[in-house]
Amino acid sequence: MGLFDKLAGWLGLKKEVNVLCLGLDNSGKTTIINKLKPCNAQAQDIVPTIGFSIEKFKTSSLSFTVFDMSGQGRYRNLWEHYYKEGQAIIFVIDSADKLRMVVAKEELDTLLNHPDIKHRRIPILFFANKMDVRDALSSVKVSQLLCLENIKDKPWHICATDALKGEGLPEGVDWLQDQIKTIRT
Amino acid sequence: MSESSGNGGKWLDAHYDPVAGLFTFSPCVDLADLSGDGESRLVVGDLGSGSTGMKLKVFRGTALLSESTLLDLPAGLVAFFMDLHEPRIPAVAVASGPCVYVYKNLRPYFKFTLPGLEVNSLEQDVWQQAREGQIDPLTLKEMLESIRKKADVPLSMRSLRFLSLETDDMDDFVQLHKQQPIRRQTVITCIGTLKKSTADDDGVSCLVIGTESSDVYVLDPEAFVILSKMSLPAAPTMMDVTGQFDVEFRITVACRDGNIYVLRRELDKPKYCIKLSSHPVGLVRVGKNVMVGCTDESLQGFTQKGKKLWRTVLAAPITTMAAMDLPTRGFQAVLVGLANCEVQLYRDKNLLSTIKTPDVVTSICFGRYGREDGTLIMTTKGGGLMVKILKRTAVFDDRDGAPGPPLAQSVRLNVPKKTKLYVDQTLRERENGLAMHRAFQMDLSRMRLTAAKAYVKALESSLAPVSSSISEPLKMNAVVQGLGPSFKLTLNVQNTAACRPATNLAISFLYDEGLYRMRNPYMRIPLLVPGLVYPVETSVECTSDKGISDIIKVFVLHEGRSCPLLTAHINMPVSEGEMLN
Repeated sequence: MGLFDKLAGWLGLKKEVNVLCLGLDNSGKTTIINKLKPCNAQAQDIVPTIGFSIEKFKTSSLSFTVFDMSGQGRYRNLWEHYYKEGQAIIFVIDSADKLRMVVAKEELDTLLNHPDIKHRRIPILFFANKMDVRDALSSVKVSQLLCLENIKDKPWHICATDALKGEGLPEGVDWLQDQIKTIRT
Repeated sequence: MSESSGNGGKWLDAHYDPVAGLFTFSPCVDLADLSGDGESRLVVGDLGSGSTGMKLKVFRGTALLSESTLLDLPAGLVAFFMDLHEPRIPAVAVASGPCVYVYKNLRPYFKFTLPGLEVNSLEQDVWQQAREGQIDPLTLKEMLESIRKKADVPLSMRSLRFLSLETDDMDDFVQLHKQQPIRRQTVITCIGTLKKSTADDDGVSCLVIGTESSDVYVLDPEAFVILSKMSLPAAPTMMDVTGQFDVEFRITVACRDGNIYVLRRELDKPKYCIKLSSHPVGLVRVGKNVMVGCTDESLQGFTQKGKKLWRTVLAAPITTMAAMDLPTRGFQAVLVGLANCEVQLYRDKNLLSTIKTPDVVTSICFGRYGREDGTLIMTTKGGGLMVKILKRTAVFDDRDGAPGPPLAQSVRLNVPKKTKLYVDQTLRERENGLAMHRAFQMDLSRMRLTAAKAYVKALESSLAPVSSSISEPLKMNAVVQGLGPSFKLTLNVQNTAACRPATNLAISFLYDEGLYRMRNPYMRIPLLVPGLVYPVETSVECTSDKGISDIIKVFVLHEGRSCPLLTAHINMPVSEGEMLN
């Protein structure tokens, strides 16, 4: 932390970080982003995102601008246009949807092999969401199915979450904040 | 990577359970959003062992959601919207035996039974007598057999069953059944849906039923009354329905007589008939065309009016067929399950891709499953369930390994237009063909005569470089080397006789002395052994500097004879050396 950063911190100015929120449709991306916002700014009804939406929230030291991308098949080709701007990625997985785990893996592999991502040391935060569902897979199982151990050149972290109650979200965001700080300094 | 080798990189292996215990075929599999939450479920009419364990099973994702017992073997299963209530939840209709069982919210809701058929009055009388005890079972059997032979109205199921019994069991059977009235029932062979009045995806649909009695019924979705009845020449086995009942519809039916019939609105008889060379095993409509898989391992394409478009031969017998329709990508094709553990994807007659499966596939269903639009669901002969998801990035290339004529064949050649001259010439040739041919033949004969004369003359005066005389057969060729003004002249002389040597020969040259100078224009040739080539060399000097050349004649002579044995003409090259100076 330089002097300027400290100064900015005292003044209440926080560093802006662009984050991409990706994942299949119905995995809970918008719900997670909504839960991270301050209580008074949260939306009550979550509807499927069309295209993408830009959301902002703040943590203790950073100001996040989140590109909440739509996960529907027909909008997934939009993702790659925002890879350049993203300084971190949040990848949300529906742990209860065993059938489409291969689809999530396929999209993740496509993401990791994209030229805008491949050679960058960009932190990736995985949210194994919907832990409240009865036969949801554990976060260990999810990381096995997605072969996360093969990601060697990027920092990554997986959190078991329940976006409806907000469980597990702070842990993931703290990790992301630390990663962004270490990369910056 | 998750892609397996047998998929061609286009499918993701989402799920494979080889012991799912699911024994079914394509007409008994459907996908529908049975809970109205936007997630499609897989509904399967499981045949069980064929006599027991028939079940209606519903899968969600990789798990079995519910199962309920079916009373009889399912012949077909469809999900359809029967009313306009919200939320839009489809009902499931299972056809088995003479009934259609309709399930709503996976609970039995309604049972529709096909109307009974006409019963033979003689048969009725006979059973009446049996009921009153006037005849014993043996007499009953004899009478029923005589009725079966003669009557044009077939016997009822009960009488046929009775006739197949052993003598001991007859009495019990009569006692058990004689009180009930006789009914003759047909059974359902295939079932389909037809939109009632709107083409919407969630529009109310009528059920279309094909029966063993060669009839096709269209049922009202709410009241379950027969809206329309159509007759076919044979019992239907498979059908495809398109259109709307209130507007215009088309029912394509494959029948047991090996023909395909097309039924239209307001006609109770087939409008078109497609005669196939062998029996159909699969019938799929792609766009406006019908694709039929036949028992002779072929896949054929027809227009909806029955015109044959193409035929392609497959590697193995067909086990099942299903349509692959991806409206979001505008992609339509047909999936063909083969007995050699492959599922092939055809667009028209072009093979697009092949999926290798661990077992023979008995049913294929493609559509929206869960939240994924391009899902391929297959069940195997061993009771396995396989789910594959089409990759978002998958592209099907029409020329993917499909053998066919090369592309260059269809490129048009730039043929020039016919000129007036060409047309006139063609006309002239057409009119005077005979005369032209004669003139040509006469000229050809003349030319041959002239050539023969010249040849004879050359032979007679030994002008040729080959002598074929019996006493001294010789051959000679000459080579000129050098640029000039000095040339080296090599004459290769060969005795072509079998065993006689040639003696007393000499070579003499005849040339323009103003142009050339030769050291010795007369040479004697030594004895020529047969077969060997004797090079005779001499030098010629060109004395002219005008850049002209001339012929030098070479004669091979026999001593004491004035006539040369052979003659060679050497075209001397232009002396370049002189010019360079």
